[in-house]
Amino acid sequence: MIDFLLYLDPGSGSYLLQMIIAAILGALFYIKGIWWRIKSFFMPRKNKKENKASGEDE
Amino acid sequence: MNEVRKHPASYKDPAGFIFSLDGKIYRQVNKEYASHYDHLMNSGLYQKLVNSGLILPHIETNLPFADRDNGYKILEPETLTFVSYPAEWSFDMLRDAALLTLKVNLTAIEYEMVLKDATPFNVQVHQGKMVFIDTLSFEKYDESKPWVAFRQFCECFLSPLFLSHYNSAELIKLLSVYIDGIPAGLTAKLLPFRSRFSLAAWLYFYLPGMVNNNQGNKPQTNGGFNKQKLQRLLQHLTTTVERLKCRNENTVWDNYYQETILGKEYLEEKEKIFRSYIDVISFENAVDLGANDGHFSRILSSKSRVVAVDFDHNCINRLYNQAKKSAVSNLIPLVVDLSNPTSAVGFANTERQSFIERCKPDLLLALALIHHLVFGKNIPLSNIAKLLSMMTSKYLIIEFVPFEDIKVQELVKNKDNFHRNYSQEEFESLFGHYFLISRKEKIKGTDRWLYCMSKK
Repeated sequence: MIDFLLYLDPGSGSYLLQMIIAAILGALFYIKGIWWRIKSFFMPRKNKKENKASGEDE
Repeated sequence: MNEVRKHPASYKDPAGFIFSLDGKIYRQVNKEYASHYDHLMNSGLYQKLVNSGLILPHIETNLPFADRDNGYKILEPETLTFVSYPAEWSFDMLRDAALLTLKVNLTAIEYEMVLKDATPFNVQVHQGKMVFIDTLSFEKYDESKPWVAFRQFCECFLSPLFLSHYNSAELIKLLSVYIDGIPAGLTAKLLPFRSRFSLAAWLYFYLPGMVNNNQGNKPQTNGGFNKQKLQRLLQHLTTTVERLKCRNENTVWDNYYQETILGKEYLEEKEKIFRSYIDVISFENAVDLGANDGHFSRILSSKSRVVAVDFDHNCINRLYNQAKKSAVSNLIPLVVDLSNPTSAVGFANTERQSFIERCKPDLLLALALIHHLVFGKNIPLSNIAKLLSMMTSKYLIIEFVPFEDIKVQELVKNKDNFHRNYSQEEFESLFGHYFLISRKEKIKGTDRWLYCMSKK
């Protein structure tokens, strides 16, 4: 690997790699976004319940 | 006016170069970099970086160009106390430098600029923190292109940080050999098996090997990249670096002052004599060799700029974090082994200077040090006297530890082969070749002596 890199510009050698990393990070970001949406779908209801519960106490 | 001397390390970038004139450091900006420089200054990026304390400020001067045909501007940057090299930094220093580089790049992108290189040599310790020093590293940002300095960042910063995180911070010293960064392929080979459970290790070390192997010499295609992708990449790099931790190894000097005879009383007596010495001499900068926990470096830092040096990584890392926390602005801690100081490396062996060449303080400190060199490293006392005289420009405060001292006895306990002509008379005679002994005092409760000498 190191041998043929001698003939490549140090910057250009990483262009394809960055595209792949950016794609992986993008996918992870997308999955994370879905996860947060699922999480937040349940969270407010839980909060509402808590508020309601505390309101009843008063 | 003296001769203009171009800095030997400043040859790679056609955008400009560093030169010295009349003892001051300047930077010439070349015509071909003019549009990038103007964008840096006029877009508000430079001011933003200065206001945030991220970049070393400069002023534009009217000095004649060092290279008349190509000159566009001459800049005078704020003076640095000491130029240190990444191989001399501790883990947290290198980590802070990496985070700074990423922060500077993320800020630059907001102003339509990007860093075209990402080497730790572009960062220096200045007024107690890491600052970016290369004004010519910024270029106008083309959104369609990935980050040109990505690989350099991975190999110069991530490689040594990952090796420290998974193995030992001693591996930062590899940067003294690989000044352009530790190749990702080599780092992948050196990382232990458990690193394979880290996504970042895969993305930045294992994947590059696979991609480059399959890619061969196919032409590189640009395009398909955008600002959001780059920002996401830089943010991931930031999170990755933030998560890296220095492995907590015990230091050689753990409890050095707490244990045995070298307790509180010894330290108090030594400090009393030391303070009486530094009160009567004038100096602007000092180097503390064998700084240990930095007790005496901190005393000096209230009077002058100090470089605190020790071969023990953890001591220096701790000292850096303490200085940062207590906002001590004129102390630079460095990992240097005096028996094998940083050598001159790079093109023609002049690109990066040796530690000795860079070290010319007014005051040199060598407290509880010489017995380690004589009995630990078998360096004759005469060689040490010569070296210390070369290193200081005015004064030397040195502690003489007699052969009968418990610490010396520990060093020679299992050793037959050591220099036996070691006595106080011999010490005074050898150091007398190079220095005038102005004061000497015995440290109460021990047989150790503290000397204040001035260079002949």
